[in-house]
Amino acid sequence: MTNKNSDSRIPSSFRDPSGYLFQRDGIIYRQINQVYRENYEHLMTSGLYDTLVKNDLVVTHVESGIQTEAGNNVYKIIKPEKVPFISYPYEWCFSQLKHAALVTLQIQKTALNFGMSLKDSSAYNIQFRKGKPVLIDTLSFEKYRVGEPWVAYKQFCQHFLGPLVLMSYTDVRLNQLLRIYIDGVPMDLASTLLPFKTRLNFSLLSNIHLHAATQMKYEDKPVKPADKKMSNTGLLAIIDNLESTVQKLQWKPQGTEWGEYYSDTNYTQEAVNHKKHFVTECLEQIKPENVWDVGANTGYYSRLAGNKSIPTIAFDIDPAAVEKNYLTCVKNKEEHLLPLLLDLTNPSPCIGWENKERMSITQRGPADTIFALALIHHLAISNNVPLIKIAGFFSKLCDYLIIEFVPKSDSQVQRLLATREDIFPDYTQPAFENDFKEYFNIKQFAKVKDSERILYLMKRKV
Amino acid sequence: MFNKKRTRLAILILVLVAFPQPAYAYIDPGTGSYVLQIILAGILAVPFVLKRYWIKIKSIFKGSSSK
Repeated sequence: MTNKNSDSRIPSSFRDPSGYLFQRDGIIYRQINQVYRENYEHLMTSGLYDTLVKNDLVVTHVESGIQTEAGNNVYKIIKPEKVPFISYPYEWCFSQLKHAALVTLQIQKTALNFGMSLKDSSAYNIQFRKGKPVLIDTLSFEKYRVGEPWVAYKQFCQHFLGPLVLMSYTDVRLNQLLRIYIDGVPMDLASTLLPFKTRLNFSLLSNIHLHAATQMKYEDKPVKPADKKMSNTGLLAIIDNLESTVQKLQWKPQGTEWGEYYSDTNYTQEAVNHKKHFVTECLEQIKPENVWDVGANTGYYSRLAGNKSIPTIAFDIDPAAVEKNYLTCVKNKEEHLLPLLLDLTNPSPCIGWENKERMSITQRGPADTIFALALIHHLAISNNVPLIKIAGFFSKLCDYLIIEFVPKSDSQVQRLLATREDIFPDYTQPAFENDFKEYFNIKQFAKVKDSERILYLMKRKV
Repeated sequence: MFNKKRTRLAILILVLVAFPQPAYAYIDPGTGSYVLQIILAGILAVPFVLKRYWIKIKSIFKGSSSK
């Protein structure tokens, strides 16, 4: 007997009449409506689903026998494979968005081979699983109607091409526009923000600048169905053109102020080894189910968890650090580490319809364990957050906290204070311990060898 | 009378289930985006076909030189 009353619809899943996601007893299911029946059957029997699964392009699912109250409208209920962590395009670095775009185009090419086409190309339908981008929306396919242009072309340009070109040609931080524009960057805005030289490139001229112009010209004008015809070869040519355009886009962190940051630490090798040993010991003691490393930089300490097959998210504020970390993950085929972009002083909020479509970072937690290494001074001094507030925030995010206190005498803190007045008389080790004891029990601590810093293992008070 | 109504309803449900309506595009494809695709398809189709032939020719030569 199933409890239908405990079903809760996933707030991000409401636009597509083909079906929706819901949660029952902690498990996520997808309802497929009758209207999608023909397409689903074609997906499953044509060999497309098997091909996509074989090539790691779509999440797997099983058909479930559970009952719902949707009545005649329901065709099937499927149970999709669980993705360990849901991330959003405004949290991805350049190469993550680029790889997600290329996977979307690869899926579209594969679908066309089996007589289907993607009916949407939302970046939110792509998630990182085992280090690779994969489509999570099984209902994104429809039978290809010969002669019709690609329905999702505009969405692809808004969600992927526009932001990537902006990141590559204007500023890498413009991926944050995706946080404002939930359905992707409008083409006219992308066109305005791009430098003139992008007009000299045929693909960028056509897919972005002329795209913006035709959208403006045909705004509110319907097109007769007879005029909407193009050959299958023409469609494949457009996909091929988009693919080579995305493939050629580059962004290199070198030359930025961040590029030099990594070699600019005040640590001796002995201090690094000691810190590494402390974190490893804590992990062996806690055996966490997952780890969030907030302020992970390029993921040196995150890998202590990731290499133990612990699902680990390596957050950092710096797009260059996340880019470097992600490329290392790709190179080493790391499956348990996901680098993501996050400004902890202004973390991802809930956005979209009713402020519920995309989850905030706190809604996606709490994590079992958080690493906050060499971070506290950035929050307390650069961002003026009182220590008690930092402790309170971390207590909402995790059960265990591995945190490093960086005293005022440390050269990195002195550097932060060099250009401003020291208005932080309470930034001391005893005050730090007192404030954190409000929310946590200190289980273990150690002074880092060859350094003035102190490492703590804390457990949240229940 | 009541039975007739019920039979009609049953037939209607059966028809709806047996012949589901096609799932129409639920996102706005944008008229301008459609028009642009048709223009681009016209421009890109020939170079695309040539590119495919060129790849095939190259693979034949590569194949024969590796033998």
